[in-house]
Amino acid sequence: MSRPSTLLEARNIGLRLDERWLFRNLSFSIPTGAFISLTGPSGVGKTSLLRILYGELSPTEGELSSPLEKPSSQAMIFQDLQLAEGAATLTNVLSGSLGRHSSVKTFFGFPQIEKKQGLALLLQFGLERKSSQWASTLSRGERQRLAICRSLLSRPTLLFADEPVASLDSEWADKTLCTLHDSQIKTGGSIVCSLHDELQVQQFSNYILRLNPSDPSAWTWEEPNPIF
Amino acid sequence: MGRTQSDLLDMESKMPWHSRFDLLGITFLIFLGSALGALPSIEGSGRDLDYLGNLSRFLSQFFPPDWSILDRTLSGLLETVQIALVSTLLAIALSFVISLGASRNIAPAWVLWPTRMLLNMIRTIPSLLWALVAVVIVGSNSLAGVIALTLYSVGYLAKFFSETFESADLSAQHALKSLGAGPLQAFQYGLWPNARPIIWSHCLWMLEYNIRSASIIGYVGAGGIGLHLKLYAESADSWNKFSLVLLCILVVVTILDFTGEKIRHAIRQKLEGSNQTKP
Repeated sequence: MSRPSTLLEARNIGLRLDERWLFRNLSFSIPTGAFISLTGPSGVGKTSLLRILYGELSPTEGELSSPLEKPSSQAMIFQDLQLAEGAATLTNVLSGSLGRHSSVKTFFGFPQIEKKQGLALLLQFGLERKSSQWASTLSRGERQRLAICRSLLSRPTLLFADEPVASLDSEWADKTLCTLHDSQIKTGGSIVCSLHDELQVQQFSNYILRLNPSDPSAWTWEEPNPIF
Repeated sequence: MGRTQSDLLDMESKMPWHSRFDLLGITFLIFLGSALGALPSIEGSGRDLDYLGNLSRFLSQFFPPDWSILDRTLSGLLETVQIALVSTLLAIALSFVISLGASRNIAPAWVLWPTRMLLNMIRTIPSLLWALVAVVIVGSNSLAGVIALTLYSVGYLAKFFSETFESADLSAQHALKSLGAGPLQAFQYGLWPNARPIIWSHCLWMLEYNIRSASIIGYVGAGGIGLHLKLYAESADSWNKFSLVLLCILVVVTILDFTGEKIRHAIRQKLEGSNQTKP
Protein backbone atom coordinates (compact mmCIF):
# COMPACT_ATOMS: atom_id res chain seq x y z
CA MET A 1 0.00 0.00 0.00
CA SER A 2 1.48 3.36 -0.88
CA ARG A 3 1.25 5.98 1.77
CA PRO A 4 2.00 9.68 1.44
CA SER A 5 5.32 10.75 2.90
CA THR A 6 3.67 13.39 5.08
CA LEU A 7 0.66 12.37 7.16
CA LEU A 8 -0.17 15.73 8.66
CA GLU A 9 1.11 19.24 8.33
CA ALA A 10 0.52 22.07 10.78
CA ARG A 11 1.06 25.65 9.61
CA ASN A 12 1.27 28.49 12.14
CA ILE A 13 -1.36 27.04 14.41
CA GLY A 14 -2.14 28.74 17.68
CA LEU A 15 -4.71 28.25 20.41
CA ARG A 16 -6.11 30.82 22.81
CA LEU A 17 -8.13 29.62 25.78
CA ASP A 18 -9.58 31.97 28.42
CA GLU A 19 -7.72 35.03 27.05
CA ARG A 20 -4.40 33.18 27.19
CA TRP A 21 -2.34 31.85 24.31
CA LEU A 22 -1.23 28.27 24.95
CA PHE A 23 0.93 28.14 21.83
CA ARG A 24 1.36 30.21 18.65
CA ASN A 25 2.95 29.98 15.21
CA LEU A 26 3.38 26.27 15.61
CA SER A 27 4.53 24.66 12.33
CA PHE A 28 5.70 21.12 11.76
CA SER A 29 4.95 18.13 9.64
CA ILE A 30 4.47 14.51 10.63
CA PRO A 31 6.30 12.16 8.27
CA THR A 32 5.43 8.51 7.74
CA GLY A 33 6.93 6.10 10.24
CA ALA A 34 7.72 8.65 12.94
CA PHE A 35 7.40 8.62 16.71
CA ILE A 36 6.81 12.18 17.83
CA SER A 37 6.89 13.08 21.49
CA LEU A 38 5.01 16.05 22.82
CA THR A 39 6.32 17.33 26.13
CA GLY A 40 6.01 20.23 28.51
CA PRO A 41 4.75 20.79 32.03
CA SER A 42 1.13 20.06 32.98
CA GLY A 43 -1.34 22.64 31.72
CA VAL A 44 0.89 23.78 28.86
CA GLY A 45 -1.62 22.63 26.23
CA LYS A 46 -0.50 19.14 25.21
CA THR A 47 -4.01 17.65 25.36
CA SER A 48 -5.46 20.63 23.47
CA LEU A 49 -2.80 20.34 20.77
CA LEU A 50 -3.50 16.60 20.38
CA ARG A 51 -7.22 17.33 20.07
CA ILE A 52 -6.50 19.93 17.40
CA LEU A 53 -4.33 17.48 15.45
CA TYR A 54 -7.04 14.80 15.85
CA GLY A 55 -9.61 17.25 14.48
CA GLU A 56 -11.76 17.53 17.59
CA LEU A 57 -10.85 21.13 18.33
CA SER A 58 -10.33 24.04 15.96
CA PRO A 59 -7.18 26.11 16.36
CA THR A 60 -7.65 29.82 16.99
CA GLU A 61 -5.27 30.55 14.12
CA GLY A 62 -3.35 28.65 11.47
CA GLU A 63 -4.33 25.55 9.56
CA LEU A 64 -3.81 21.83 9.27
CA SER A 65 -3.65 19.74 6.16
CA SER A 66 -3.64 16.00 5.81
CA PRO A 67 -4.03 13.57 2.94
CA LEU A 68 -5.67 11.11 5.36
CA GLU A 69 -9.38 10.58 5.61
CA LYS A 70 -10.77 10.90 9.09
CA PRO A 71 -12.01 8.94 10.98
CA SER A 72 -10.91 5.45 9.94
CA SER A 73 -7.25 6.32 9.47
CA GLN A 74 -6.78 8.15 12.76
CA ALA A 75 -7.24 7.12 16.35
CA MET A 76 -6.74 8.69 19.75
CA ILE A 77 -5.93 7.16 23.11
CA PHE A 78 -7.76 9.56 25.40
CA GLN A 79 -6.39 10.58 28.77
CA ASP A 80 -9.75 9.76 30.36
CA LEU A 81 -9.77 6.46 28.39
CA GLN A 82 -13.49 6.70 27.43
CA LEU A 83 -14.22 3.00 27.85
CA ALA A 84 -17.63 1.33 27.88
CA GLU A 85 -17.59 0.54 31.60
CA GLY A 86 -20.40 -2.01 31.59
CA ALA A 87 -19.04 -3.99 28.65
CA ALA A 88 -16.57 -6.87 28.78
CA THR A 89 -12.88 -6.15 28.27
CA LEU A 90 -12.86 -8.09 24.99
CA THR A 91 -15.93 -6.21 23.72
CA ASN A 92 -14.19 -2.92 24.48
CA VAL A 93 -11.16 -3.99 22.43
CA LEU A 94 -13.31 -5.29 19.58
CA SER A 95 -15.26 -2.04 19.38
CA GLY A 96 -12.05 -0.59 17.92
CA SER A 97 -12.85 -2.55 14.76
CA LEU A 98 -16.37 -1.12 14.31
CA GLY A 99 -15.23 1.27 11.58
CA ARG A 100 -14.41 -1.71 9.33
CA HIS A 101 -17.84 -3.36 9.57
CA SER A 102 -21.45 -2.38 8.97
CA SER A 103 -23.95 -2.02 11.85
CA VAL A 104 -25.84 -5.04 10.54
CA LYS A 105 -22.73 -7.19 10.65
CA THR A 106 -21.79 -6.19 14.20
CA PHE A 107 -25.34 -6.24 15.61
CA PHE A 108 -25.07 -9.83 16.87
CA GLY A 109 -21.33 -9.83 17.55
CA PHE A 110 -17.94 -9.44 15.91
CA PRO A 111 -16.36 -11.49 13.09
CA GLN A 112 -14.10 -14.35 14.21
CA ILE A 113 -11.02 -12.79 12.66
CA GLU A 114 -11.46 -9.64 14.76
CA LYS A 115 -11.98 -11.76 17.89
CA LYS A 116 -8.69 -13.53 17.23
CA GLN A 117 -6.85 -10.27 16.82
CA GLY A 118 -8.55 -8.76 19.85
CA LEU A 119 -7.53 -11.71 22.01
CA ALA A 120 -3.98 -11.51 20.65
CA LEU A 121 -3.82 -7.85 21.71
CA LEU A 122 -5.18 -8.69 25.17
CA LEU A 123 -2.50 -11.38 25.49
CA GLN A 124 0.19 -8.95 24.42
CA PHE A 125 -0.95 -6.45 27.05
CA GLY A 126 -1.43 -9.00 29.84
CA LEU A 127 -5.24 -8.74 29.96
CA GLU A 128 -6.17 -12.15 28.49
CA ARG A 129 -7.44 -13.51 31.82
CA LYS A 130 -9.78 -10.55 32.25
CA SER A 131 -11.33 -10.71 28.80
CA SER A 132 -14.85 -11.37 30.09
CA GLN A 133 -14.73 -8.92 33.02
CA TRP A 134 -16.44 -5.54 32.84
CA ALA A 135 -14.04 -2.70 32.11
CA SER A 136 -15.23 -0.97 35.30
CA THR A 137 -13.76 -3.78 37.41
CA LEU A 138 -10.20 -3.37 36.08
CA SER A 139 -7.49 -1.34 37.81
CA ARG A 140 -6.48 2.03 36.37
CA GLY A 141 -3.36 0.58 34.75
CA GLU A 142 -5.32 -2.28 33.20
CA ARG A 143 -7.92 0.16 31.90
CA GLN A 144 -5.18 2.23 30.30
CA ARG A 145 -3.78 -0.86 28.54
CA LEU A 146 -7.31 -1.75 27.44
CA ALA A 147 -7.79 1.69 25.85
CA ILE A 148 -4.49 1.19 24.01
CA CYS A 149 -5.62 -2.23 22.72
CA ARG A 150 -8.86 -0.71 21.40
CA SER A 151 -7.00 2.03 19.53
CA LEU A 152 -4.52 -0.46 18.08
CA LEU A 153 -7.30 -2.73 16.80
CA SER A 154 -8.70 0.18 14.82
CA ARG A 155 -5.37 0.08 12.90
CA PRO A 156 -4.91 3.81 12.50
CA THR A 157 -2.34 5.29 10.17
CA LEU A 158 -1.91 8.17 12.55
CA LEU A 159 -2.25 7.44 16.25
CA PHE A 160 -2.51 10.15 18.87
CA ALA A 161 -1.87 9.17 22.47
CA ASP A 162 -2.51 11.43 25.42
CA GLU A 163 -0.15 10.30 28.18
CA PRO A 164 -0.74 6.64 27.36
CA VAL A 165 1.64 5.32 30.01
CA ALA A 166 0.78 7.71 32.86
CA SER A 167 -0.86 4.98 34.98
CA LEU A 168 1.55 2.17 34.14
CA ASP A 169 4.53 0.93 36.14
CA SER A 170 7.91 1.40 34.46
CA GLU A 171 8.04 -2.15 33.08
CA TRP A 172 4.62 -1.93 31.41
CA ALA A 173 5.32 1.65 30.33
CA ASP A 174 8.43 0.64 28.39
CA LYS A 175 6.75 -2.44 26.97
CA THR A 176 3.74 -0.41 25.89
CA LEU A 177 5.79 2.32 24.24
CA CYS A 178 7.84 -0.34 22.42
CA THR A 179 4.65 -1.96 21.14
CA LEU A 180 3.12 1.35 20.08
CA HIS A 181 6.38 2.32 18.39
CA ASP A 182 6.77 -0.98 16.54
CA SER A 183 3.17 -1.43 15.47
CA GLN A 184 2.91 2.10 14.10
CA ILE A 185 6.26 2.28 12.42
CA LYS A 186 6.16 -1.19 10.87
CA THR A 187 2.81 -0.50 9.26
CA GLY A 188 4.01 2.80 7.84
CA GLY A 189 1.99 4.85 10.30
CA SER A 190 3.08 7.44 12.82
CA ILE A 191 2.39 8.20 16.44
CA VAL A 192 2.14 11.50 18.28
CA CYS A 193 2.41 10.89 21.98
CA SER A 194 2.42 13.23 24.95
CA LEU A 195 4.93 12.07 27.55
CA HIS A 196 6.31 13.35 30.85
CA ASP A 197 9.26 11.07 31.42
CA GLU A 198 12.39 12.51 29.74
CA LEU A 199 14.08 9.09 29.55
CA GLN A 200 11.14 7.69 27.58
CA VAL A 201 11.13 10.78 25.39
CA GLN A 202 14.81 10.32 24.54
CA GLN A 203 14.53 6.57 24.07
CA PHE A 204 11.65 6.45 21.60
CA SER A 205 11.39 9.75 19.74
CA ASN A 206 12.31 10.57 16.20
CA TYR A 207 11.10 14.10 16.86
CA ILE A 208 10.36 16.02 20.03
CA LEU A 209 8.00 18.98 20.26
CA ARG A 210 8.45 20.90 23.50
CA LEU A 211 5.85 23.45 24.49
CA ASN A 212 6.90 26.37 26.66
CA PRO A 213 4.59 27.51 29.48
CA SER A 214 6.09 31.01 29.79
CA ASP A 215 6.18 31.92 26.09
CA PRO A 216 3.59 30.45 23.69
CA SER A 217 5.82 31.09 20.68
CA ALA A 218 8.96 29.63 22.24
CA TRP A 219 8.18 25.99 21.42
CA THR A 220 11.03 23.87 20.11
CA TRP A 221 11.18 21.08 17.54
CA GLU A 222 14.07 18.70 18.08
CA GLU A 223 15.19 15.98 15.72
CA PRO A 224 17.23 13.48 17.75
CA ASN A 225 16.56 10.64 15.34
CA PRO A 226 15.08 12.10 12.15
CA ILE A 227 13.62 10.05 9.33
CA PHE A 228 15.04 10.57 5.88
CA MET B 1 -2.79 33.44 42.05
CA GLY B 2 -1.12 35.19 44.94
CA ARG B 3 -4.31 35.36 47.00
CA THR B 4 -3.75 34.93 50.69
CA GLN B 5 -6.12 33.18 53.04
CA SER B 6 -7.31 36.49 54.49
CA ASP B 7 -8.14 37.71 50.96
CA LEU B 8 -10.33 34.67 50.48
CA LEU B 9 -12.03 35.17 53.86
CA ASP B 10 -12.55 38.81 52.94
CA MET B 11 -14.11 37.79 49.61
CA GLU B 12 -16.41 35.35 51.35
CA SER B 13 -17.62 37.96 53.83
CA LYS B 14 -18.38 40.34 50.95
CA MET B 15 -20.63 37.79 49.24
CA PRO B 16 -24.28 38.96 49.36
CA TRP B 17 -26.47 37.24 51.98
CA HIS B 18 -28.76 35.70 49.38
CA SER B 19 -25.88 33.86 47.66
CA ARG B 20 -26.30 31.15 50.29
CA PHE B 21 -29.73 30.27 48.91
CA ASP B 22 -29.15 27.97 46.01
CA LEU B 23 -31.82 25.91 44.29
CA LEU B 24 -31.70 23.27 47.01
CA GLY B 25 -32.08 25.79 49.85
CA ILE B 26 -34.90 27.71 48.18
CA THR B 27 -36.94 24.66 47.23
CA PHE B 28 -36.53 23.22 50.73
CA LEU B 29 -37.77 26.50 52.25
CA ILE B 30 -40.77 26.55 49.89
CA PHE B 31 -41.58 22.94 50.81
CA LEU B 32 -41.26 23.57 54.56
CA GLY B 33 -43.38 26.74 54.35
CA SER B 34 -46.14 25.04 52.36
CA ALA B 35 -46.24 22.00 54.67
CA LEU B 36 -46.50 24.15 57.78
CA GLY B 37 -49.09 26.33 56.05
CA ALA B 38 -51.17 23.22 55.29
CA LEU B 39 -51.24 22.08 58.93
CA PRO B 40 -54.31 24.14 60.08
CA SER B 41 -56.45 22.73 57.22
CA ILE B 42 -55.96 19.11 58.27
CA GLU B 43 -59.00 18.34 60.42
CA GLY B 44 -60.35 15.25 62.09
CA SER B 45 -64.03 14.48 62.58
CA GLY B 46 -64.24 16.96 65.43
CA ARG B 47 -65.84 14.39 67.70
CA ASP B 48 -64.13 13.18 70.81
CA LEU B 49 -63.33 9.62 69.78
CA ASP B 50 -61.31 7.02 71.64
CA TYR B 51 -58.71 6.61 68.92
CA LEU B 52 -56.51 4.11 70.74
CA GLY B 53 -59.50 2.06 71.91
CA ASN B 54 -60.89 1.87 68.39
CA LEU B 55 -57.55 0.82 67.01
CA SER B 56 -56.93 -1.92 69.58
CA ARG B 57 -60.49 -3.32 69.22
CA PHE B 58 -60.07 -3.43 65.43
CA LEU B 59 -56.59 -4.95 65.48
CA SER B 60 -57.54 -7.59 68.06
CA GLN B 61 -59.87 -9.12 65.46
CA PHE B 62 -56.79 -9.75 63.26
CA PHE B 63 -55.37 -12.29 65.70
CA PRO B 64 -54.74 -15.10 65.52
CA PRO B 65 -54.48 -15.32 61.71
CA ASP B 66 -56.59 -18.11 60.19
CA TRP B 67 -54.05 -20.59 58.77
CA SER B 68 -56.75 -22.83 57.27
CA ILE B 69 -56.86 -20.64 54.15
CA LEU B 70 -53.11 -20.76 53.53
CA ASP B 71 -53.35 -22.89 50.35
CA ARG B 72 -55.94 -20.64 48.76
CA THR B 73 -53.92 -17.57 49.72
CA LEU B 74 -50.68 -18.93 48.27
CA SER B 75 -52.32 -19.74 44.93
CA GLY B 76 -53.75 -16.20 44.88
CA LEU B 77 -50.29 -14.83 45.59
CA LEU B 78 -48.82 -16.95 42.80
CA GLU B 79 -51.31 -15.43 40.40
CA THR B 80 -50.35 -11.98 41.67
CA VAL B 81 -46.64 -12.65 41.06
CA GLN B 82 -47.44 -14.00 37.58
CA ILE B 83 -49.42 -10.86 36.72
CA ALA B 84 -46.50 -8.75 37.90
CA LEU B 85 -43.91 -10.77 35.94
CA VAL B 86 -45.81 -10.68 32.64
CA SER B 87 -46.76 -7.02 32.92
CA THR B 88 -43.20 -6.00 33.83
CA LEU B 89 -41.80 -7.88 30.83
CA LEU B 90 -44.30 -6.25 28.48
CA ALA B 91 -43.63 -2.86 30.04
CA ILE B 92 -39.85 -3.24 29.62
CA ALA B 93 -40.24 -4.02 25.91
CA LEU B 94 -42.63 -1.11 25.29
CA SER B 95 -40.64 1.28 27.47
CA PHE B 96 -37.39 0.61 25.64
CA VAL B 97 -38.89 1.74 22.35
CA ILE B 98 -40.81 4.68 23.84
CA SER B 99 -37.84 5.86 25.94
CA LEU B 100 -35.72 6.32 22.81
CA GLY B 101 -38.35 8.83 21.70
CA ALA B 102 -38.25 10.56 25.09
CA SER B 103 -34.45 10.98 25.30
CA ARG B 104 -33.14 14.41 24.48
CA ASN B 105 -29.82 13.06 23.19
CA ILE B 106 -31.49 10.53 20.86
CA ALA B 107 -34.85 11.84 19.57
CA PRO B 108 -35.58 15.06 17.63
CA ALA B 109 -37.75 17.65 19.39
CA TRP B 110 -40.91 16.87 17.40
CA VAL B 111 -40.81 13.29 18.71
CA LEU B 112 -39.49 14.19 22.16
CA TRP B 113 -42.25 16.48 23.41
CA PRO B 114 -45.31 14.47 22.30
CA THR B 115 -43.72 11.31 23.78
CA ARG B 116 -43.03 13.04 27.08
CA MET B 117 -46.55 14.44 27.19
CA LEU B 118 -47.94 10.95 26.60
CA LEU B 119 -45.82 9.53 29.41
CA ASN B 120 -46.93 12.32 31.76
CA MET B 121 -50.55 11.50 30.97
CA ILE B 122 -50.01 7.79 31.63
CA ARG B 123 -48.33 8.54 34.96
CA THR B 124 -51.16 10.82 36.07
CA ILE B 125 -53.58 7.87 36.19
CA PRO B 126 -53.11 5.64 39.28
CA SER B 127 -52.79 1.88 38.85
CA LEU B 128 -56.18 1.23 40.48
CA LEU B 129 -57.87 3.40 37.87
CA TRP B 130 -56.04 1.60 35.03
CA ALA B 131 -57.29 -1.65 36.57
CA LEU B 132 -60.88 -0.38 36.59
CA VAL B 133 -60.62 0.60 32.92
CA ALA B 134 -59.09 -2.78 32.02
CA VAL B 135 -61.79 -4.69 33.93
CA VAL B 136 -64.46 -2.75 32.05
CA ILE B 137 -62.82 -3.69 28.73
CA VAL B 138 -61.70 -7.32 29.19
CA GLY B 139 -63.73 -8.40 32.21
CA SER B 140 -62.78 -9.40 35.71
CA ASN B 141 -59.70 -11.61 35.29
CA SER B 142 -55.93 -11.59 35.48
CA LEU B 143 -55.59 -10.35 31.87
CA ALA B 144 -57.11 -7.09 33.12
CA GLY B 145 -54.38 -6.97 35.75
CA VAL B 146 -51.65 -7.47 33.16
CA ILE B 147 -53.06 -4.73 30.91
CA ALA B 148 -53.45 -2.31 33.81
CA LEU B 149 -49.98 -2.81 35.26
CA THR B 150 -48.30 -2.80 31.85
CA LEU B 151 -49.76 0.60 31.00
CA TYR B 152 -49.05 1.95 34.46
CA SER B 153 -45.42 0.71 34.43
CA VAL B 154 -44.69 2.11 30.97
CA GLY B 155 -45.33 5.61 32.31
CA TYR B 156 -42.56 5.16 34.86
CA LEU B 157 -40.11 2.81 33.13
CA ALA B 158 -39.98 4.80 29.90
CA LYS B 159 -39.23 7.93 31.93
CA PHE B 160 -36.50 6.14 33.92
CA PHE B 161 -34.98 4.64 30.76
CA SER B 162 -34.88 7.96 28.95
CA GLU B 163 -33.31 9.64 31.98
CA THR B 164 -30.72 6.87 32.05
CA PHE B 165 -29.89 7.37 28.37
CA GLU B 166 -29.63 11.11 28.94
CA SER B 167 -27.37 10.88 31.97
CA ALA B 168 -25.25 7.88 30.89
CA ASP B 169 -21.55 8.36 30.32
CA LEU B 170 -21.36 9.46 26.68
CA SER B 171 -17.58 9.42 26.39
CA ALA B 172 -17.31 5.83 25.14
CA GLN B 173 -19.96 6.51 22.49
CA HIS B 174 -18.01 9.57 21.43
CA ALA B 175 -14.72 7.65 21.34
CA LEU B 176 -16.21 4.93 19.13
CA LYS B 177 -17.70 7.48 16.74
CA SER B 178 -14.26 9.03 16.39
CA LEU B 179 -12.85 5.56 15.58
CA GLY B 180 -15.29 5.32 12.68
CA ALA B 181 -18.30 3.55 14.24
CA GLY B 182 -21.75 4.39 12.90
CA PRO B 183 -24.49 5.87 15.15
CA LEU B 184 -26.13 2.48 15.86
CA GLN B 185 -22.76 0.85 16.56
CA ALA B 186 -21.71 3.70 18.86
CA PHE B 187 -25.01 3.35 20.73
CA GLN B 188 -24.81 -0.44 20.96
CA TYR B 189 -21.16 -0.68 22.03
CA GLY B 190 -20.58 2.73 23.64
CA LEU B 191 -23.75 4.02 25.33
CA TRP B 192 -25.80 0.85 25.89
CA PRO B 193 -23.17 -1.02 28.01
CA ASN B 194 -23.01 1.97 30.36
CA ALA B 195 -26.80 2.36 30.53
CA ARG B 196 -27.72 -1.35 30.69
CA PRO B 197 -26.86 -2.01 34.37
CA ILE B 198 -28.83 1.05 35.49
CA ILE B 199 -31.75 0.12 33.27
CA TRP B 200 -31.80 -3.39 34.72
CA SER B 201 -31.84 -1.89 38.23
CA HIS B 202 -34.91 0.11 37.25
CA CYS B 203 -36.55 -3.03 35.84
CA LEU B 204 -36.00 -4.92 39.10
CA TRP B 205 -37.43 -2.00 41.06
CA MET B 206 -40.48 -1.96 38.76
CA LEU B 207 -40.99 -5.69 39.26
CA GLU B 208 -41.01 -5.22 43.03
CA TYR B 209 -43.37 -2.32 42.68
CA ASN B 210 -45.68 -4.29 40.37
CA ILE B 211 -45.93 -7.18 42.80
CA ARG B 212 -47.09 -4.69 45.43
CA SER B 213 -49.51 -3.08 42.97
CA ALA B 214 -50.74 -6.46 41.73
CA SER B 215 -51.71 -7.29 45.31
CA ILE B 216 -54.15 -4.39 45.42
CA ILE B 217 -55.62 -4.19 41.89
CA GLY B 218 -57.55 -7.42 42.54
CA TYR B 219 -59.69 -5.24 44.77
CA VAL B 220 -61.41 -3.91 41.65
CA GLY B 221 -61.49 -7.33 39.97
CA ALA B 222 -58.21 -7.42 38.07
CA GLY B 223 -57.08 -10.80 39.37
CA GLY B 224 -54.69 -11.95 42.07
CA ILE B 225 -54.65 -11.75 45.84
CA GLY B 226 -56.47 -8.41 45.98
CA LEU B 227 -59.77 -10.15 45.35
CA HIS B 228 -59.23 -12.25 48.50
CA LEU B 229 -58.55 -9.08 50.49
CA LYS B 230 -61.78 -7.56 49.24
CA LEU B 231 -63.84 -10.65 50.09
CA TYR B 232 -62.49 -10.94 53.63
CA ALA B 233 -62.78 -7.20 54.29
CA GLU B 234 -66.44 -7.18 53.23
CA SER B 235 -67.61 -10.29 55.04
CA ALA B 236 -68.14 -10.04 58.77
CA ASP B 237 -65.74 -11.68 61.22
CA SER B 238 -63.12 -12.47 58.58
CA TRP B 239 -60.43 -10.10 59.78
CA ASN B 240 -58.33 -13.06 60.93
CA LYS B 241 -58.37 -14.37 57.34
CA PHE B 242 -57.60 -10.84 56.10
CA SER B 243 -54.60 -10.74 58.42
CA LEU B 244 -53.22 -14.02 57.03
CA VAL B 245 -53.37 -12.61 53.49
CA LEU B 246 -51.60 -9.45 54.66
CA LEU B 247 -48.98 -11.56 56.39
CA CYS B 248 -48.31 -13.58 53.23
CA ILE B 249 -48.05 -10.40 51.15
CA LEU B 250 -45.68 -8.94 53.73
CA VAL B 251 -43.40 -11.99 53.55
CA VAL B 252 -43.27 -11.98 49.74
CA VAL B 253 -42.69 -8.23 49.51
CA THR B 254 -39.99 -8.31 52.19
CA ILE B 255 -38.10 -11.12 50.44
CA LEU B 256 -38.38 -9.22 47.16
CA ASP B 257 -37.26 -5.93 48.67
CA PHE B 258 -34.28 -7.61 50.26
CA THR B 259 -33.09 -9.55 47.20
CA GLY B 260 -33.87 -6.66 44.82
CA GLU B 261 -31.83 -4.25 46.93
CA LYS B 262 -28.93 -6.72 47.16
CA ILE B 263 -28.88 -7.23 43.39
CA ARG B 264 -29.17 -3.50 42.66
CA HIS B 265 -26.37 -2.74 45.10
CA ALA B 266 -24.12 -5.39 43.51
CA ILE B 267 -24.80 -4.03 40.02
CA ARG B 268 -24.08 -0.46 41.12
CA GLN B 269 -20.84 -1.50 42.79
CA LYS B 270 -19.69 -3.46 39.77
CA LEU B 271 -20.40 -0.57 37.43
CA GLU B 272 -18.71 2.02 39.61
CA GLY B 273 -15.74 -0.35 39.75
CA SER B 274 -13.00 -0.75 42.27
CA ASN B 275 -10.32 1.02 40.28
CA GLN B 276 -9.94 3.72 42.92
CA THR B 277 -8.71 1.20 45.48
CA LYS B 278 -6.50 -0.92 43.26
CA PRO B 279 -2.93 0.13 42.41
